[in-house]
Amino acid sequence: MSTISMKQRINKTIAAFGLIALPAFAIAEQQAANLDQLLKQLEQGKIAQTKQNQQREADFKARVAEQDNMLKNARTERDNAIATSTALEQSFQANEVQIANRTEALNKRLGELKELFGVLQQVAGDTKGKFQTSVISAQLPGRDVFLDEFTQSMGSSTKLASIEEIERIWFELQREMTESGKLSSFNGEVVAADGTRRQQEIIRVGGFNLVSEGKYLEYIFETNAIAELKRQPSDRYLASARAIAADSSGPVAFSLDPTGGSILNLLVQAPNTRERVDQGGPVGYVILGIGLVGLLIALERFVSLFLIGRKVNRQLKSEQVSKDNPLGRVMSVQADNPNVDNETLELKLSESILREVPKLTTRLTLIKIISVVAPLIGLLGTVVGMINTFQAITLFGTGDPKLMAGGISQALVTTVLGLVVAIPMVFLFAYLNGRSRNIINVLQQESTGIIAERSEKGA
Amino acid sequence: MVFIYDIINTIQDFIETGGDVLVVIAVVIAIMWLLIFERLVFVFAAYRTLKKQAQQGWSSRTDHSSWHAHHIRQAMVSRMSSALNNNLSLIQSLVVLCPLLGLLGTVTGMIEVFDVMAISGSGNARSMASGVSKATIPTMAGMVGSLSGVFAVTWLQRFAKRETQIFEDSLSLVDNNDAMARA
Repeated sequence: MSTISMKQRINKTIAAFGLIALPAFAIAEQQAANLDQLLKQLEQGKIAQTKQNQQREADFKARVAEQDNMLKNARTERDNAIATSTALEQSFQANEVQIANRTEALNKRLGELKELFGVLQQVAGDTKGKFQTSVISAQLPGRDVFLDEFTQSMGSSTKLASIEEIERIWFELQREMTESGKLSSFNGEVVAADGTRRQQEIIRVGGFNLVSEGKYLEYIFETNAIAELKRQPSDRYLASARAIAADSSGPVAFSLDPTGGSILNLLVQAPNTRERVDQGGPVGYVILGIGLVGLLIALERFVSLFLIGRKVNRQLKSEQVSKDNPLGRVMSVQADNPNVDNETLELKLSESILREVPKLTTRLTLIKIISVVAPLIGLLGTVVGMINTFQAITLFGTGDPKLMAGGISQALVTTVLGLVVAIPMVFLFAYLNGRSRNIINVLQQESTGIIAERSEKGA
Repeated sequence: MVFIYDIINTIQDFIETGGDVLVVIAVVIAIMWLLIFERLVFVFAAYRTLKKQAQQGWSSRTDHSSWHAHHIRQAMVSRMSSALNNNLSLIQSLVVLCPLLGLLGTVTGMIEVFDVMAISGSGNARSMASGVSKATIPTMAGMVGSLSGVFAVTWLQRFAKRETQIFEDSLSLVDNNDAMARA
């Protein structure tokens, strides 16, 4: 394809669109070989451009009439628009005046109704809140939907409440009131403490509590679920919950939570015995371990002293000297030394009694020590807990008691554990010491007497 | 009937206000007084016959002054003393335990108070009241229990000591024949 023909074609298209032609050298296809050739090319290009320009001017002149026409059209369009705008503005003003008049008329006619609608909206909002926390919603779900829509429409638009809607609110309030004075049973899905769902017969006591199968339930509005409380109140109250389920004609005593479940919910937060003991921390476990050791020792002592005591009593009653008990062993001294004088016999007797006493009092001191040490370790735990508390105060200040509660719990729980271990130990020591003392008394005081009686009888 | 029901209710309320420790204190006081009554019955009824029998047994003996007689007398006195002192140390320890249990109740009550503080996050006096009553009622009950027992125990101990002495003195070491000879 030659350069010229190419250029011409391009020019044609440019003319057709009435655009500015591109400089000719820009579309020179091939590089000029030398300066002469370049000069020639430039010349040719110039000629072509002048031709082009002339062509365009001619075209433009030919189209003047067309442009006038377009201008005229645009002007008429503008005039029309201005006219419309003025008309609309006028009608807008007229409308505004009309609206103001109408609003005034409406306000005049509403008069006190305006306040009534305000109150109505407020009541509807309050009632919605009340229904969300009321256990009656467990039996009659979906009461809040209508109220929700009603308050929204009252608040957003200028729409007035219809008689039906007002009456419906009245009805809902009245129904809540009536139901809160009734004991009614209905079937519902109960979420048990372990998460399983079951259909059960639920008894609603007024607006206070839900009870089912002798257990207190809570109504969770957000999920519209009825759940068993994870921790139930004490048996005395549960018995009353069972009593209300039993079909009886007369009045039944029932323990209800007047707060509608708040108090019962706090039960869940209170720790049980296991969690309590855990609060004591390592010190608490040490105390419990020592207490267990003490109990085992006491048990062993109790059994052995009981057996020894029984054997000693048998020995007291019987004529035969048997060596399976301390008294028998003491008495056998006389049989082993038949020919000694009284002084020597007495010495030998006291020697054999001294041999028996440690066997009877052994490990009793350990129980005594445990009963003394346990409260001391409890005191140690108290101090450790208080240190934790003060550490919490140092870090977070005294603003939040919850942060200090951990240390205080430890402090008090260890004290409790110390006392819980010490009290039975004191009791056990007193009891066991009494038993062993009795047997030792028999050995020390009575053995010689018994020997004397026997020798008299024998003599 | 209603009157009895009222009393039961009052007691139940009192126990609930005092908490579990109060039940333990009640049991301890009950055991203590059972033992005390057993002692009183022994002192006023069984002890006299026992004493008479022992004294007759001693006076029926001809020999009152030999080594044998001495030791038999000692054994008799010791038997009587242990019979008089039976369970006394146990009662004494129960008297000591009562205030200790009261202290335990105090601490558990205080734990409850701090629980309420931890849950509610405030020092609302009304919500802490139940914990405070659990702290104070067992203390009071323990004190009352030990006070009621202290007098009884002290009296019983003094009686035992005195009676042992009197009994020992009543067993004379003088032989009957000597006494006759002197007469």
